[in-house]
Amino acid sequence: MSSLISDSFSIYGEQFTSRLLIGSALYPSPAIMADSIVASGAQVVTVSLRRQQSAAAGDDFWQLIKDTGLKVLPNTAGCHSVKEVVTLAQMCREVFATDWIKLELIGDDYNLQPDPFALLEATKILLADGFKVLPYCTDDLVLCQRLAEAGCEVLMPWGAPIGTGKGLLNQYNLRTIRERLPDTTLIVDAGLGLPSHACQALELGYDAVLLNSAIAGAGCPVTMSHAFKAAVEAGRFAYRAKAMPEKDVAAPSTPTMGMPFWHQDFGIKNKN
Amino acid sequence: MSYNIAVIGFGLTGRLAALELSLKHKVTVYESGDEQALDSAGKVAAAMLAPLAESVLCEQDLALLGLDSIRRWPSILAQLDDEVFFQQQGSLVVAHQQDKGDLQSFIQRLKPLAGHHGHRLTGAQISELEPELAGRFNQGVFLPCEGQIDNHAFYQASFKTLKQRNVSFKFAQTVDVDSGNLQQSFDYIVDCRGLGAKSAACKLRGVRGEVVRLFAPEVKLTRPVRLMHPRYPIYIAPKPNDQYVIGATEIESQDHGPATVRSTLELLSAAYTVHSGFAEARVLSIQTGLRPAFSDNRPQVTQQQQLISINGLYRHGYLLAPSLVADAVARIN
Repeated sequence: MSSLISDSFSIYGEQFTSRLLIGSALYPSPAIMADSIVASGAQVVTVSLRRQQSAAAGDDFWQLIKDTGLKVLPNTAGCHSVKEVVTLAQMCREVFATDWIKLELIGDDYNLQPDPFALLEATKILLADGFKVLPYCTDDLVLCQRLAEAGCEVLMPWGAPIGTGKGLLNQYNLRTIRERLPDTTLIVDAGLGLPSHACQALELGYDAVLLNSAIAGAGCPVTMSHAFKAAVEAGRFAYRAKAMPEKDVAAPSTPTMGMPFWHQDFGIKNKN
Repeated sequence: MSYNIAVIGFGLTGRLAALELSLKHKVTVYESGDEQALDSAGKVAAAMLAPLAESVLCEQDLALLGLDSIRRWPSILAQLDDEVFFQQQGSLVVAHQQDKGDLQSFIQRLKPLAGHHGHRLTGAQISELEPELAGRFNQGVFLPCEGQIDNHAFYQASFKTLKQRNVSFKFAQTVDVDSGNLQQSFDYIVDCRGLGAKSAACKLRGVRGEVVRLFAPEVKLTRPVRLMHPRYPIYIAPKPNDQYVIGATEIESQDHGPATVRSTLELLSAAYTVHSGFAEARVLSIQTGLRPAFSDNRPQVTQQQQLISINGLYRHGYLLAPSLVADAVARIN
């Protein structure tokens, strides 16, 4: 058990035990956000700067996030070009004094799908500038390979488009990425709606999940936060425990051969 | 007993407080701007009275307080010398096909409020209520208890009536409420400064909202329409003289600068997708306001001896201010 409890994963060399990264948008109030973050047990919180207009304007809200004491992962939500994300990443580095950046570069506004080509280009620029880039990407194996080759130690493929709550739409793709990039930290980012979705991602061997709407948009965000915390732990335990093989033919868990005949009688009597 | 009372801030709560208090007491109003209080959130707001819709996100007690406030508005407006448009014909909530899921969850989360509840509507029922929306939406919700007021008219009329009641006005004056100086000159101080009260001790934050006012004679909507939107509720609120208020965005920022292109596009495209008649509407203004909010987004009425503060009304100014002001006034009377 002790090895399970001390189980951790790495984000650019830093170790984390909570496998739930949480977002800070769309909660009913900052107070509920703070309570949800505490309930989630998360050690990393993401925050968006794009729409605040200026660094000073968002101060009060960012201070609430800094007050959580968690590691802050700024994101570039709302950016559509390499130039925009690079500028915003530099602003994030100043505001939050961190070289971490969740790179979000939207290629299609309708389903907020990342632009894989611009994403790779921006990733290379930011890595060269000293950033630790966590790219939000699609579940395309070759894209993930290219990002890893560029130097990303963490990749964040989507489960489904942002905010849809559909869960893991393509488990085959996600499983393939896990198998082919065994040494890269993999985090499912976006598209989760239920704790069972998060649990599945961890069962597949993903190191963590990152989510926002699934908790912030729940009827009771704090309670849902508890549920996700438990689900992520369950999924991780399940992955480490290694699941039994799936079979097409039933195999009784108690062999009937060798069962004393009076026990079998008892069962029949009971039925009657 | 009649007191000498200072009301600090001439936004929505300041006006309501001055109106109630000047019936019985000598009132002096201090305001950092002019009589229009252009910086106040209440000046920019869409002035919706939507307790049922707001109950989806706020606590039940606040939504019930909203119902109480709606009952108070007619008698408040009856005090004024000029007529102010007030309407309580319900509001309509609609969603585009791709936002149907949001509408479902909105319906599930409506809290029953003292017998008031929402009614699901088919497309045909929507067009009965709002004929110009015929064929545009195939499902929606009607919230009969909801309404709205014309906040610009209220701002003007309240100032006029207060002047006639011989209320003293000190415009372009910032006062230090915490220094204790005012306490020597007045029996009571009612602090209605909103975000102006922000200090190290008073942990308020501003939540930016952008609002568009249109002149749209081609559009004939008779009641506020709320469109489901993934980030914030967008209302299309018909005001007198073919004017429509479209708003508001909700951004965790204290930037009070002009509206952004993104927000403007979001608001205007929301209006256009509800009614194509907005295409030829004239843009009268695009304004930005900062809603004063505490971290739990709940309002507070607090008292320290002679000093009574009403603050943190967040996005619920018109919805909650009458009841909160009544609470503050009761402490004095």
